Amino acid sequence: METLHSEEMILNIGPQHPSTHGVFRLVVTIDGEQIVAADPVVGYLHRGTEKLAESLQYTQIIPYTDRLDYVAAMLNNYALVHTVEYAMDLEIPERAEYLRVIVMELNRVASHLLFVGAYLLDLGAMSPFLYVFQEREMIVQLFNEICGARLTYNYMRVGGVKWDAPPGWLAKVRDFLPHMREKLKMYDALISGNEIFLSRVRGMGVITQEEAVAYSLSGINLRSTGLRFDLRKKRPYGIYDKFAFDVVVGQNGDCFDRYWCHFLEMEQSLNIVEQALESIPDGPVLGKVPKLIRIPAGEYYTSIEGARGELGVYIVSDGKDKPYRMKLRRPSFVNLQILSKLLIGQNMANMIAILGAVDIVLGEVDA
Amino acid sequence: MSEEKKPAAAPAAKPAKAAAPPDPRVVAATALADEIRASIEARHGAGAVEETGAAKTIPMIRIAPDKWRDVVTFLRDSEDHRYDYVELMAGTDYKDYIELVIYLYSMKRDAYITVKTRTPRDAASLPSLTPVFPGVNWEEREVYDLLGVHFEGHPDLRRIMMWDEWKGYPLRKDYSDFDNIPTRGGEPR
Amino acid sequence: MEMNSSVHLPTIEYEGFTEEESAQLRRSGVVVNSLEQLKGWARSNSLWPLTFGLACCAIEMMGTGASHYDLDRFGIFFRASPRQSDVMIVAGTVTKKMAPLLRRLYDQMPEPKWVVSMGSCATAGGPYVRSYSVVKGVDQIVPVDVYIPGCPPSPPALIYGLNKLQERIRLEAAGKKVTG
Repeated sequence: METLHSEEMILNIGPQHPSTHGVFRLVVTIDGEQIVAADPVVGYLHRGTEKLAESLQYTQIIPYTDRLDYVAAMLNNYALVHTVEYAMDLEIPERAEYLRVIVMELNRVASHLLFVGAYLLDLGAMSPFLYVFQEREMIVQLFNEICGARLTYNYMRVGGVKWDAPPGWLAKVRDFLPHMREKLKMYDALISGNEIFLSRVRGMGVITQEEAVAYSLSGINLRSTGLRFDLRKKRPYGIYDKFAFDVVVGQNGDCFDRYWCHFLEMEQSLNIVEQALESIPDGPVLGKVPKLIRIPAGEYYTSIEGARGELGVYIVSDGKDKPYRMKLRRPSFVNLQILSKLLIGQNMANMIAILGAVDIVLGEVDA
Repeated sequence: MSEEKKPAAAPAAKPAKAAAPPDPRVVAATALADEIRASIEARHGAGAVEETGAAKTIPMIRIAPDKWRDVVTFLRDSEDHRYDYVELMAGTDYKDYIELVIYLYSMKRDAYITVKTRTPRDAASLPSLTPVFPGVNWEEREVYDLLGVHFEGHPDLRRIMMWDEWKGYPLRKDYSDFDNIPTRGGEPR
Repeated sequence: MEMNSSVHLPTIEYEGFTEEESAQLRRSGVVVNSLEQLKGWARSNSLWPLTFGLACCAIEMMGTGASHYDLDRFGIFFRASPRQSDVMIVAGTVTKKMAPLLRRLYDQMPEPKWVVSMGSCATAGGPYVRSYSVVKGVDQIVPVDVYIPGCPPSPPALIYGLNKLQERIRLEAAGKKVTG
């Protein structure tokens, strides 16, 4: 009997595709339903931020960081100002540090909420997307009140934050927390036990610890493999050493663990916000900073735990008021590399589930 | 040892050696870098390390370009070092040369180190680290794309951000936007 | 029966009819209109934009389409395929790498079609106007009907822009000239 033979086919997905979260293109070679090879193509949103930064003063770069990971812009703001402060050995007023932590953790919640909604939307469930946007809208409104922008905040400055919280804002955040906790329970009941969802994500796209370290994964992608690696604990920056919170880790490193870690991390972030609200002191919000920020010649790298992983800024300074070179360590960009490895041998329908769980933001991948 | 001469024109790769008393963190980091240097030279010969210093609080060593992959492999595998996680890879154009820097972290020892190397601007070429750390695959492609460093032994060296017909390397300091003016029939449009 | 005044169909005075005849027609519920205006009215109330999120503005576009702002109440549904859509909301920075693909998607959309340029990046390059890889305005590639300023525009701004587009479609159908 003649052996049956199959032919490979090349299938192009993107750059305009609803499940690629932006302009991401994936060229897969499939044999029937099975993926034989996958070649991610990025760069459709490459805007040259690093080159632009070379002709901008440090304060002027802050709005550009907003537009990298536009889902969690506060964290990007912080990554830049933190590196500049580290280079200049600046003292930050206590109140500013607390405000920073509050907005960063709220932003992390907003970002993870969007992940949950968009991931479920990718998997075919429309309603969680509509649900999570209600709570996200509340957080965005809070940000709108504190800095006047809904998405690109430009809130932090070298040496502190731009605005103090308006009267009553902290109380509003305090009121928001129990509401959010309540809703998290509801989403948990709505999604996490859903049999269809579970059978699509359990055991899918498994990353081992060795792979995760070799591929320089960070954030939830790394922690879902069981490695307890959170820069907020490992290398506490700012005032994170004052707060009690748990590092959420997964067990199997599959898509479900990644989803579940997002969920649990939101609760931890809410805990941090609660503690920060309890002990926030009064005082100035912007420290003594020279009008023209110059950092001493040399090279500096610091990183923070962003919403998607290790978010770092590398600055080479020649002592002027503009960086000689600025490189952004974008977690999505690094995390995405493992995708082509995860996809091999999978069915085509699982592609979306695996891509969605890696949790990328294309503005950050392409910079 | 760490006070070796540097081209004056280049923005210092080391913190400023100001008149003020040296930062103790810098001193400690430099001392650690010297220790690592001794360990590398014991294995790879005297010429392997060209310079030691500190990037603020992190020890820095500069490797000869031909030993680049060997030394990084050694730093990853040797029991004393175990730097198994690449935090950052960045290339910088210093007008005289292009410098590639990686920040390594040891998951087991909780230690950081900066390793760098240099390559001339024209015919810039370095051994690829992708066989050692698969996670630098795209980072090297980005450096190739935007800075024009060719990586020997890279499995898939293509432009990543720009497309193949793009001319020039945008992150080089002498890049001009006029390199890529669209033309129609040989004339600028 | 009086027509709902919020529906901008110029049904009051019909050409070639006297005032009494017009009133008679309205009373008996007869609509006399040019087919173009009817089509314009229908089209403007069922805009189907292509989900074409490019950058930051896409998040605000999603936010506008989601529960809080709810674009569905204007008859606006996002479609994933250019073949099924008649509006392209260019939400975000258009890079030179993306530009040919954007044009292709535009060409794939069936006539009649409109383009909304959302945000300053799509309008004129925005903060990235000096970048080597960004197109300085999507109007260099496709004709734009409505520009929405903002970086990113808030959902109310997007809704306002889309309402302006609806108005424009109706005005154009009535034979009025609208300059973008």
